[in-house]
Amino acid sequence: MIDEAFMPFAKIIERMLTLEGPLVDDEAGVRLYVSACEIESPVELDVVREEDGSLRIGSTPPLYYVDTSIRPSFHRLSFTATLVRDSDGD
Amino acid sequence: MATENASWQLEEFVDSLVVELDKTRETLAVKAINKPLSYTVKDLALDLNIFPSYDGDQIKFITAQPGQQGASKVTIQLGSITDQQVRATTKTPGAKNDIKLDAIDLDKVTKKKLRKLGVSSVDDLRQIEQKNVDLQQISDDAVDYQKLAKQIQKARRGEKPPKVDTVALSVDQDDRPYLLIRGRNLAIHPEFDPVAVVNQTLAEVMSRSDTEVKIQLTEAHQLIDKNEVILTLDPFAVMKVNVKI
Repeated sequence: MIDEAFMPFAKIIERMLTLEGPLVDDEAGVRLYVSACEIESPVELDVVREEDGSLRIGSTPPLYYVDTSIRPSFHRLSFTATLVRDSDGD
Repeated sequence: MATENASWQLEEFVDSLVVELDKTRETLAVKAINKPLSYTVKDLALDLNIFPSYDGDQIKFITAQPGQQGASKVTIQLGSITDQQVRATTKTPGAKNDIKLDAIDLDKVTKKKLRKLGVSSVDDLRQIEQKNVDLQQISDDAVDYQKLAKQIQKARRGEKPPKVDTVALSVDQDDRPYLLIRGRNLAIHPEFDPVAVVNQTLAEVMSRSDTEVKIQLTEAHQLIDKNEVILTLDPFAVMKVNVKI
């Protein structure tokens, strides 16, 4: 079981990708949307082996922001998210 | 703080990572149904602080935990891949009746040696054989090809066990009695002659096929109410049938 402070790796990517849009300013007549987004973040990992022998990767953004005597091991996650366009190009 | 990290091999870590990424893509695909803008993940990279260890056989890694200094760095990059690239870099899936090496009763040394040579199934072995490669030589005699071939035959036989549907007593044109055994996967190897023993006396196999075996009976077999027939169809299939008359 992954430690309760961590979440499955898939979740951390999903939660980082909560991009809402489009951004609309009616007065200025401007409409914006994010076409691509590069995210790079330190993460902590909890790698556990389940009873069936499979490996599960738990992850979380840094839990504490204060300097402590025992420093967490920050791994680095980076990925690019791109807008999925419809087949008609919208 | 998390529990102690488990050690892993690179292949299984990447497998787990890909599974997680697939889950993300599935979730994003569902979100895309109702959202006007939807996103997909491309080119994911993970820089890991790890400690490698070598046990004389395998190299394993363990991810660094809080307070641990001096870790090495491994970067895993999952890039986007086109269907053309998949075709170019992926092995054609094995045939329906392909057998994985894990399903074969092989000693650990042979299995390990084969894996290091990129052989994971019987189909892989067949392809190597077709290219006239001497496995025994390139594995420094660690792979005994004869033994391997026998184990593969055994595994194949295990997937097609003989099954008896009916046993009948009959007589041939010369009025000589014989036992007719009908079923499936009986004498499937033409290179092996089945051997029959009836009531602990050797009997002649008159004819055989994968669905039918005829065993000649003589007075020497001393048929009684309950008779024991032991039929060795090939080195990997021996069956005992109790025949009541």
